[in-house]
Amino acid sequence: MKDDSELQPIQQFISALVPFDSLSDSSLVRCCQQLTIGYYSKTSKVVPLDESHPQLYIVRSGAFEVRDEQGELLDRLGEGDYFGFPSLLSGEKVSNQVQILEDSLVYHLDPDTFNYLRNESRVFDRFFNRAFAKRMRHQARFKAKDLTTTNRVNSLMSVDPLTIDCHASVSDAAKKMRLARVSSVLVIDNHKLIGILTDRDLRNRVLAEGFDGNLAVHQAMTTNPKRLSANALVFEAMLLMSEHGIHHLPIMAETPIDDNTEAPAVGMLTSTDILRGQSSQPLLLIGEIERQQDIDSLINVSKQIPVLLQNLISADARAEEVGRVLTSVTDALTRRLIILNQQILGAAPMAFCWLAFGSQGRQDQAACSDQDNGLLLAHEPDEHAKGYFNALSHAVCEGLDKCGYIYCPGDIMAQNPKWRLSLDKWQRHFESWLNAPEPKALMHASIFFDMRAVYGPQNLFEQLQNHVLERTKDNDIFLAGMAGNSLVESPPLGFFRKFVLERDGSEVKGMDLKHKGVALINDIARVYALSAGITEVNTPKRIRALMDANIINRKDALNLADAHEFIAHMRLANQGEQYTSQQDVTNYLKPQQMSSLIRHQLRDAFKVVHDAQSGLRMKFMRSY
Amino acid sequence: MNELWLKARLYYEIFGQSDLLSEYQQAYLSVINKPITSAPLMAIDLEMTGLDPQQDQIISIGIVPIEPSLMPLSIPLAKAQQIMINIDGSVGQSAAVHGIVDHHLSSALTLSQAMEWFVEKTKGHILVAHHAPMDIGFLQSHLYKTNGRAIKLPFIDTLALEKQRLLRQHDVLKEGSLRLDACRQRYGLPTYSGHDALTDALACAELFVAQVNSIGDINTLSAAEFISI
Repeated sequence: MKDDSELQPIQQFISALVPFDSLSDSSLVRCCQQLTIGYYSKTSKVVPLDESHPQLYIVRSGAFEVRDEQGELLDRLGEGDYFGFPSLLSGEKVSNQVQILEDSLVYHLDPDTFNYLRNESRVFDRFFNRAFAKRMRHQARFKAKDLTTTNRVNSLMSVDPLTIDCHASVSDAAKKMRLARVSSVLVIDNHKLIGILTDRDLRNRVLAEGFDGNLAVHQAMTTNPKRLSANALVFEAMLLMSEHGIHHLPIMAETPIDDNTEAPAVGMLTSTDILRGQSSQPLLLIGEIERQQDIDSLINVSKQIPVLLQNLISADARAEEVGRVLTSVTDALTRRLIILNQQILGAAPMAFCWLAFGSQGRQDQAACSDQDNGLLLAHEPDEHAKGYFNALSHAVCEGLDKCGYIYCPGDIMAQNPKWRLSLDKWQRHFESWLNAPEPKALMHASIFFDMRAVYGPQNLFEQLQNHVLERTKDNDIFLAGMAGNSLVESPPLGFFRKFVLERDGSEVKGMDLKHKGVALINDIARVYALSAGITEVNTPKRIRALMDANIINRKDALNLADAHEFIAHMRLANQGEQYTSQQDVTNYLKPQQMSSLIRHQLRDAFKVVHDAQSGLRMKFMRSY
Repeated sequence: MNELWLKARLYYEIFGQSDLLSEYQQAYLSVINKPITSAPLMAIDLEMTGLDPQQDQIISIGIVPIEPSLMPLSIPLAKAQQIMINIDGSVGQSAAVHGIVDHHLSSALTLSQAMEWFVEKTKGHILVAHHAPMDIGFLQSHLYKTNGRAIKLPFIDTLALEKQRLLRQHDVLKEGSLRLDACRQRYGLPTYSGHDALTDALACAELFVAQVNSIGDINTLSAAEFISI
């Protein structure tokens, strides 16, 4: 007798689900045969979870909501989602409530079969343990490949750099260098890096000047050399070298938050090291930008920027690094435009900084960025200076527009006299935001708090930034206003339910990964950073600094950084696909483009954002 | 009222008989007055060579139980089964519909083996089918062939339940609106691509569970209220 009881539709459905897709055929058949089907009518409101009979609930159709004991929404579930696994794994009593939103068909998997499958497949076991731990670890599977161009400095540098005391003689230094067969030595005074001595210094400052080998090292060295941290990108190092015409960069351990103790030097990077690591496209592009002698050819070169973005996306670079690479190109372009225009207009009548705000400030530019910039002047300009900076800023903004960085719709640009201010006026402008934190005024002001100097003396910029951070730090009323603004939007957890209901996919606009995703995390990081006076503006760096300063606990910080990277990565990947299929590049991810796994991971990421928003509310808005 | 009538019909049938089939019918007496949430039910579907119970033959039978286990009206797939029946001649025309070809039937049961299997598996279970009178008619005719006696079988028809419900809502019955898939869609149940007896029996079982749930408080409903004979 033939018992032909293979239930095709059930197997088809189950075998397409992560992590059931990892099971062997025989395990899958066994699993499907052990299922019990149940129907939950929305009139009965709540799923009766029986503690003595834990089950894995697999949603076949319909929709549910998981709430905790306080009634707080934890999750919305639809077709292909699971619930009930926490008590299956932990054996603990059920504390969450599962509400029935739509009439639903559910497959129940018994504990014995569930455990059998966990033993059979590590992927299966890991999936539920991971979901249980609520720790989003998309990295393992979605670990972005490292590009040559997104390599870190520490992958190319030589470690344990040669050092010498500043009072030693140059002849001792030369012997040490010969022994180690290197072309430079770091000069140390009292454990502090104070200079660098190179082959060239020995030639130009010792021999050519007629000194002998007894000259003290500190008299021949280059003082206060340019330096980089070990996790800087290789091309940032190359940029620094080409800008300053140097060939040696001391590499420091990651800078500690505390400014009083300097991080020790951990390595040395030379231009030869970089050559060995091969030149690559972003570097070539930046090099090309720096070589251009007129604005038209600069515009021509900038046409390569979209191609560069596509290359980075197709190489699956980390979103954080794509943002930094693209922003570096924008920075180089801006600087080149300033320099070329100064060749036309003459030298500036006073020191000034070109400020970048918003995404350029945060170093997370992507496709179709607009301009957000301003000009910081060392002091109040006279009529002549006003005329000069008016001409310069108009020329640079126009150049950027022609290079593909369209004019800011909100007119936050250096060519607008409103955003071309002296240090004193900028400081007072920020004070007006700080002292009267009307939510609406602040909403528009938030991008100014993500500022960075792209051109000009760093100490001028720091005078502004420090002035602002001193006043935002522990400023409860202001921070409550900022926190309030960043809670206006919430992550689209409800989308996952809608997605289920509109399963035909008709007329679904998609999920806004920018405004309901990365932007929310940017907002959260900004409020915390301002509250602690942290100078970083890049969101992942802000989160790291907040974690190091124990302002956000390690677990939450890592979760938030992961969620930021994941959502940003999805956004870039989606834009890459839109670009290749010649659609408009948008921030919207269509549900058809989501695999079951990506849906799970995106939802996990959005849950992290939701939790972080709750944390923000708790910390900054308690008394308001 | 319905309950008394059902019992009377069954008593009348069984009276004076003492064979396999009367035992089978006897088993119904104790289940038809149970609440629907605790009555053992069996969704069935048959694939046939045609539509005439007298002329055409059953090719396969799928059975899917509905019973209280995890929750009232659970469907344990471990007990879902399907058999194939050896027929006289070829499957002919209906092969196109069911996707069954003759070689599928080589591992099949003889008709009397199949009927014996059916009686054993469904004993004490109220049969549930979509457009049930057709399936019941075939079963009765085949039981007559193997046991020499046609018997009354109490059954629940999901199509008739749906028709009543739509008419109560004053819906105009459009053509095709009572087909199994169309009915399932109204309850948000997924569309199944397969159409073998087992899949259709499962589809019918799920539909019935959804129908009962839509009526209201399922704990107050008696099985007899759903049964025809």
